[in-house]
Parts: sequence; C-alpha cells; structure tokens
Amino acid sequence: MHGTALALGVEKLAGVTAPPRAQAIRSLIAELERVHSHLLWLGVAAHEGGFDTLFMYSWRDRETVMDLLEGISGNRVNYSANVLGGVKLDISQEQADAIRKGIDFLEERSHFYMKVVTNDETFLARTRDVGTMTKEQAVLFGAVGPTGRASGLDMDIRASAPYAAYTDFPVNVITGTRGDLEARFVVRIKELFETFRLIRELLDKMPAGELTVRVPRKIPAGETISRVEAPRGELFYFLKSNGSDTPDRLKIRTPSLCNWASVMKLAVGHKLADIPMMVAGIDPCFSCNDRLFMIRRKESDPGQIWTWEDLRRYGIGYYQK
Amino acid sequence: MNDIVIPPLVALMFFPGGLALLAGSLLYEWADRKLLACFQNRIGPRWFQPLADVVKLLSKEEVMPEGVNKLLFLMLPVIALAGSLTAALYVPIAGFSPAFSFNGDLVVTLYMLSLLTLCLGLAGANTVDRFSLVGATRTLTQLFSYEAPFLLALLGPALAAGTWQINQVNNFAAQNWWMMLIQPIGFLVALVGLMGKLELTPFDAPEAETEIVAGALTEYSGRGFALFRLGKNVELVIGLTLMAAFYLGGIHNPLDFLLKTLGLLLVLSFLQSLFARLRIDQVVGLWWRIGALLALVNILLVLVIF
Repeated sequence: MHGTALALGVEKLAGVTAPPRAQAIRSLIAELERVHSHLLWLGVAAHEGGFDTLFMYSWRDRETVMDLLEGISGNRVNYSANVLGGVKLDISQEQADAIRKGIDFLEERSHFYMKVVTNDETFLARTRDVGTMTKEQAVLFGAVGPTGRASGLDMDIRASAPYAAYTDFPVNVITGTRGDLEARFVVRIKELFETFRLIRELLDKMPAGELTVRVPRKIPAGETISRVEAPRGELFYFLKSNGSDTPDRLKIRTPSLCNWASVMKLAVGHKLADIPMMVAGIDPCFSCNDRLFMIRRKESDPGQIWTWEDLRRYGIGYYQK
Repeated sequence: MNDIVIPPLVALMFFPGGLALLAGSLLYEWADRKLLACFQNRIGPRWFQPLADVVKLLSKEEVMPEGVNKLLFLMLPVIALAGSLTAALYVPIAGFSPAFSFNGDLVVTLYMLSLLTLCLGLAGANTVDRFSLVGATRTLTQLFSYEAPFLLALLGPALAAGTWQINQVNNFAAQNWWMMLIQPIGFLVALVGLMGKLELTPFDAPEAETEIVAGALTEYSGRGFALFRLGKNVELVIGLTLMAAFYLGGIHNPLDFLLKTLGLLLVLSFLQSLFARLRIDQVVGLWWRIGALLALVNILLVLVIF
C-alpha cells in the first residue's frame, strides 16, 4: 500500500505511467492486503470485547489470504511488489486459480462473521450504540476510511480519485448510517464482499502486456501528492524532488492519525469497559502515529525551536550513528 | 460406596480433600482450558501445564507493592485458599461421604466459597493500583449480583429434599428423577450462576485483560497469585460437585463423579466460547432483572409441587 503510494507519486513527477497489467497487479495486491487487514481487525476488535472465539476463528481464516500473498510475493506481510514504473512480480494462471479458491472460502466465512456480529446478543450489547459518531462529527474530526464511512461519509479514494487500476475496475463505496461500533463492523465486513468481487474481476479481466516501464534515474524537480485508499482509510504522500536521484522531502500522513481525534471526543461519557473497543474501532496503527513534537519552554531560549535545516541535520546525524 | 467413612484427618489432608483435591483441581483447570481451546480451534496447554504454572509461581519472588497493608497482602491468598479447601469438606467429592456434615452445611459451603471472592476483592482494594481497584470493585459488584440467584437456585433441590444438608440432598437426588429435569429453570440459573462465581466469560469483567490487566490480582505475583489460582481451581471442582449432587441425580462413586462433573465442565467450556464479555452494569442488570426472578419462580414452583 505504501509502496504503491510512493511509486505513484514518483511516476507522476517523472511523467511516466506504469503499464495496465502492472496497475492491475498493484490493485490486486492492495485488495488482498485489505482482506488480510480487515480480518485481522475483526479479530483484534473481538478480543477487545472479550469475544476470543471470534478472534481465534478470524485469525485462523486470515491465514488463507496470508498464504495466498506469500505464494505471490514470497512474503507474508511486506510484499514489495512495487518498483518505480511498475511491479516486479506477475500472476500466473495457477496463482490466479489459487486466489479464486481462497477467496471463495473466505467469502463463505465472511458471511458467517456477518451473521455473528449482527446477531450475537452479548456482542451486540457491547457494540450497538457505543461510540456513535454522526456524519457531521465525522466531517468535523476528519475521519477517513471505514471509520468515516460507517457514519455515512461517502469517501473512498478508490472511487473519488481513482488510481492504479481502479479507473477500469470501479469500486462501490460501502457506507453505513448508524455510526456506532456495530456499523463499523458491518461496513468492514461488507467491504470484504466488495473486495472479493473486485479481486475476481481483476483476475478475470487482467490486461496482458509489460510489467514495467522505464523511469529516468533522475526525477525532475517538483512536488506532488499521491493518495491511496489503505484498509484503514486515506493514505497521503507528499513528495518533493530537487532534480537528483534522492527525494528532497517525503511526508506521510497515515489514516490512523486522522481518526484519533474522533476517539478522544467520542470516548467522553462512556464506560471504562467500552474504551478498548472504541480505540480498536478505528483500527488504530500505533506505529503510524509516531510524530516529533518540539516543545518551546521559554521565550528566551530560541534553541528549543528547530529550523528545517536543524531537523534535517539531526535526522542525518541520527542514522549515521 | 457412600457409606465408606474415611478418617477425618485423612480426608482433610490427603483424600478426598487436601492434596488429592489440589491435584484434581489442577487437572480440572487443564480440562477446562483444553476444552475451551478445542472449541476455539486452538491447540491448548499440555496436561501438566497448570501444575507447571503453580510450581513456577511458587518459586518466583513475591513483589510487595508500595502502599499496601503487608499483613493483609500476605494473608488474603492463604485465607482464600483455606476458605475453598474448607468448603470441600462438606461436599461429596469423588462420591465419598463428606468429612463433616450437619444440617445447614449448604449455607456454610456457599459462604466459604464467597470468602474466596471476598478475599479477591479485598486483595484488589488493598493495593493502590488503579487496575486492582477497578477490578476489586467489579469483583465485589458481581458477587452481589450472582450470589442471591445462585443460592436460590441451589435451594430448589434442597427444599424438595426437605433438608439443607448437602449429603442428604445428594441421597435424595439419587432416589428421584434428576432434578435437572424436574427443575430446569433452577438448573439453568445455577449453571450460569456458577459461571459468574468462577468469573468465566461472559462474566469475566472483573479480570478483563484488555481493560484492567488482571483485575484485582494485578499486583500479585509469585506465591500469592499461585494460592489464589489454586483456590479458584478448588472452587471450580466444588461448584461442579455441588451442581452434580443437586441437579444431576447425586454422585455415589468416583466414576459417577467423574462422568457428571466432566460432562458439566464440557457444557461450561462450550458456553464460555459462545459469548463476548459483558460490561459490569450489564451483568448486574442481567442477574437482578432475569436471574433473580427466574430463581424465585423456581422456588415458588418447588414450594407448590412438593
């Protein structure tokens, strides 16, 4: 997902476009990643609510998609499918058949999970009307991804600003209305069904052709943004080139960062037992939230504020150690 | 087999109480964990894992947190284990006559089991850790919610038998139909009450690990933690024995005991795997709105029929 965002940004600066087959494979990997991410989230959220059986079941089934991804890329988590100007792996006929089979199994399981999260009384007691966020609040807090969509916010980068193969393979945006934890469960599981449909379509209508296009070694100076729809929501890359072969600046804003504000506001007035589930409800990625804070202690101490140059020197020095 | 009398001291120290009970309770803990793991599609622990846990815990350093009453901190686990071991003397474990038996020992047994929970609550309240405090509050709140319905549900068979002596209820149950069939409501309340008493899912809010670490026992390590766990395991065996004696036609020989208690354990593990954790306010609401009412209806039915 991150690789796609970076590659798309660099290609935009270089003025090249990856071939259609590469774009389709990028989307395919991204969708498989979405399946694994949503199933992982389902397990974590169930565990936060003390529903360990659902946790164990969904993680067991997640192994199916992990195996598929390993079969394609050789890796379970970091697939490194992207290169600048295309992808470095191809989908063979056998791999496509294996994916179809795995997806059939997971679709059947997802129907079961849908039944569980919408019918289980004890689970509904923990999710229904907990952490409800209205559409206005979702806009106000800047919620993205399934968290925002569960509140009726019709926003999906794949549909509103299609990239990779999503122009040829359009996505139906799944939204909910209730905005509570139950809606977030339902929206994410419905997204799984949409993803399964999309994967089948991508496999059936995979364009033939080259996998890469030549990208110049030195990227022309300029700056750009590239946005992709990660499983957790909008992933934003800002990229600045100074005309050399290394980036001048790269700024990443992850979806978790956008969704945090909603938890801090909505948690007020809820019971202690609901807080873990509400935090899990945005599918938080804690490592994505590492940010540098500089605190200005005294007016007379100008050394406390770093300029861009200071920061740059610190960063280079840090990694040279 | 029920008339074999074991010398009290042997019963107290070795069999069926004391060491045998402790060893048995570890195996019951293993059976529970293994069954739950099977239901959840996991592999589960090996058979000696609970024993290994206890040995490891006993050999570890016990950390005394700051700000606790030292005497209470050291004594509470001992009192808790003593309470549940004492309760074992009044129930027909493995189908043998209880070591002690008098009219009204049902109440004493239940009180001894509550002593364990009370010690848990006090242990949590004794430390200044916020997780322990919340856990202690939840433990005691839950105690007040399930205790009355559970007691009422066990009174059903006792009233039918016309005695509050566990041994006599056990004999009465053997000569009649299984109480489970005659008093299904009482059985249901007692079964769910036992889950509440043992703090099993969905009543595990007092030790919800995703919210409050380990609840009241957060600050306990080493010996104290091992003793509390042993106490809980013994409570599990006693609870299963009581249920089997009252509702499953009594227990009269070791085989009978094993079959009935393990059958019950199977049901308990299955129920555990079915539910999400309830919030403490939902637990209290459930027990007082539905549990207590059902238990009272059961008592009324028993009074009318018998």
